[in-house]
Amino acid sequence: MKTRIVLVGAGVALLLAAPLLLSQGLVNAAIQMLIAALFACAYNLLCGQAGMLSFGHAAYFGVGAFATVHAMNAIGGTGLLPTPLLPLAGAVGGLGIGAIAGWFATQRTGTYFAMITLAIAELLHALAPHLKGLFGGEAGVSAMRMPALGLTFGSSTQVYYLTLVWVLVSIALLYLYTQTPVGRLTLGLRENGHRLRFLGYDVHKLSVLVFAISAMFSGVAGGLQVINNEAANYVLFDPSLSAAVVLNTYIGGVKVFLGPALGAALMTFFGYAISDLTQSWLLYQGILFVLVMMFMPAGLAGMVGTSSTLRKRYGAAALAPAFVLALLAALCLSCGGAFVVEMLQRMFSQDYRALASANAAMPSPPITLFGVAWSPASVITWLVPASLLAIGGAMAYFTRQRLQALDSQHATGAATANQPHVATTRSAA
Amino acid sequence: MSNTILSLRDLRKSFGPADIIRGVNLDLQADERHAFIGPNGAGKSTVFHLISGNLTPTSGDIVFDGHRIGGRSPQEINRLGLSRSFQITNIFPKLTVFENLRLAVMRPHGLQYSFWSFIDRNARIREQTERLMEQVRLQGRATTIAGEMSYSEQRSLEIAMTLASDPKVILLDEPMAGMSNEETAYTADLIREVTQGRALLIVEHDMEVVFSISDRISVLVYGEVIATGTPDEIRNNAKVKEAYLGEEVTA
Repeated sequence: MKTRIVLVGAGVALLLAAPLLLSQGLVNAAIQMLIAALFACAYNLLCGQAGMLSFGHAAYFGVGAFATVHAMNAIGGTGLLPTPLLPLAGAVGGLGIGAIAGWFATQRTGTYFAMITLAIAELLHALAPHLKGLFGGEAGVSAMRMPALGLTFGSSTQVYYLTLVWVLVSIALLYLYTQTPVGRLTLGLRENGHRLRFLGYDVHKLSVLVFAISAMFSGVAGGLQVINNEAANYVLFDPSLSAAVVLNTYIGGVKVFLGPALGAALMTFFGYAISDLTQSWLLYQGILFVLVMMFMPAGLAGMVGTSSTLRKRYGAAALAPAFVLALLAALCLSCGGAFVVEMLQRMFSQDYRALASANAAMPSPPITLFGVAWSPASVITWLVPASLLAIGGAMAYFTRQRLQALDSQHATGAATANQPHVATTRSAA
Repeated sequence: MSNTILSLRDLRKSFGPADIIRGVNLDLQADERHAFIGPNGAGKSTVFHLISGNLTPTSGDIVFDGHRIGGRSPQEINRLGLSRSFQITNIFPKLTVFENLRLAVMRPHGLQYSFWSFIDRNARIREQTERLMEQVRLQGRATTIAGEMSYSEQRSLEIAMTLASDPKVILLDEPMAGMSNEETAYTADLIREVTQGRALLIVEHDMEVVFSISDRISVLVYGEVIATGTPDEIRNNAKVKEAYLGEEVTA
């Protein structure tokens, strides 16, 4: 518990200091990361804690965004609220629409619930371009951040701090929610809604409540996005945004409270940093998601938890070689994978095909990648990623062997004391 | 009978053309332990589902404590003071034992939609949860994940959850299924103890338990109650012997 408080404190301090350390472009990226983190946390209340997998959460993000943009433009452009309080409009919008949509969606559970949320989001997405008054048609609605409380909100830094305060307060509220009776009931809803009914709880009312609260905080995230962009467009309702929040949440890990925030921040940052370097960012995102789901379904945050469990069980010294080996394996595999993807992407690009067919004498001209010219027809070119992948695979195999050896040593050595397991599962919950 | 807390009047349930419950009549006294026995497929669990709101009766009345509860929602029926357990263990498998029971304890305290207080700070709820855990001998298991416990421990947890709302009527659906002899004996004592001052309706296949804890027994065969009476009356009832008990009891 104490280490957790220290970690959170350090994280907040780092976030507060960030604009002093980062360039203008990175501050803008940080704003996006914060917004995505809040959206993922709000989504995880529904998905991870209540066990309701929504495929249309962009709807509530978008509603929050449009509620905020209209609040900014209200009263002849002076704004319904002073700028720092504008996300409240997003919260109200998200809560209202979330309560209505939730009333319908939570009539069913599981796949049917997911389909209803998808349908509601698609409905809004299809309707938005036609309702010009409300959503501004293709062009969208734009607005201006008005000065308030002696601040102009003209610079990215000021917007960053405004976003940071809202995100920290919202995430803190979402955390406190988990400690309340209704927060505990939310977990019961995920585990066994049927049993809750026979304990006297109105499960539908409870589900609508959870849905609406999740939508409310999604609306705050949408509102922050609009304050940052000073514009909202019907593209906010795009299914890709609904998909992104699902991917981010699962990559981060649904079982740990801050997992989704971590996943969303990381993925947003990668999107920002890598999308300039490669055209295959979406492919990498997809590969990463598949790998996480296959090999660590508890997500990145779950992996942190697992490694600390292992450290407690075997000690840091015994675990260090396996850890280094795993790191090297990951490095080799990602380098090899990236090489193959980038090479193939260039080989099959239209430019390259045109170049290759133009020059009959040289059907496969060399490709420049990582500062070196590689010939696609040469065996050596493909030996590089193949050997990287092979070495990485072998190291992954040895890591596994090493962990299994530790496990069997531990099983024979300390069969008597198997209690730490209980303690760790509790702290994870 | 003035002391009746739950009565079933010509209760019927059909699934399509299949008549499963074919006119059940039953009166449960406010302070009796009443067992419901019958061969497999007689409809014992279906009657429980009808009483507890899991299924809606096709026709007939269920009157509980002056309320007609046939077809009402499970949560309404529970709040009136009728609580049940399930034949197939029905708990919150990935939560701790403490958390499982706390969810059950919270409801009667009116904490259903409360998000302005912290649950860990509520001493009354914690004490009551701990008392329930002691009652079913799970006090050492507070932080264990419920789904990782042995089957019989999960059954004990289920009984404790059923008791949490301090109900007037308890329905237990095969609480001893899968228990060892020692566990069965303990659970029988436990059921005797915790049903003091309330009504119990129990479905159980262990005849020794049924005859030792029940004040009265009803025999259900093919969706009809063919006999109701004290254990002695049931033991000596010719119709019951023929339909169900056979040599099991006479031997």
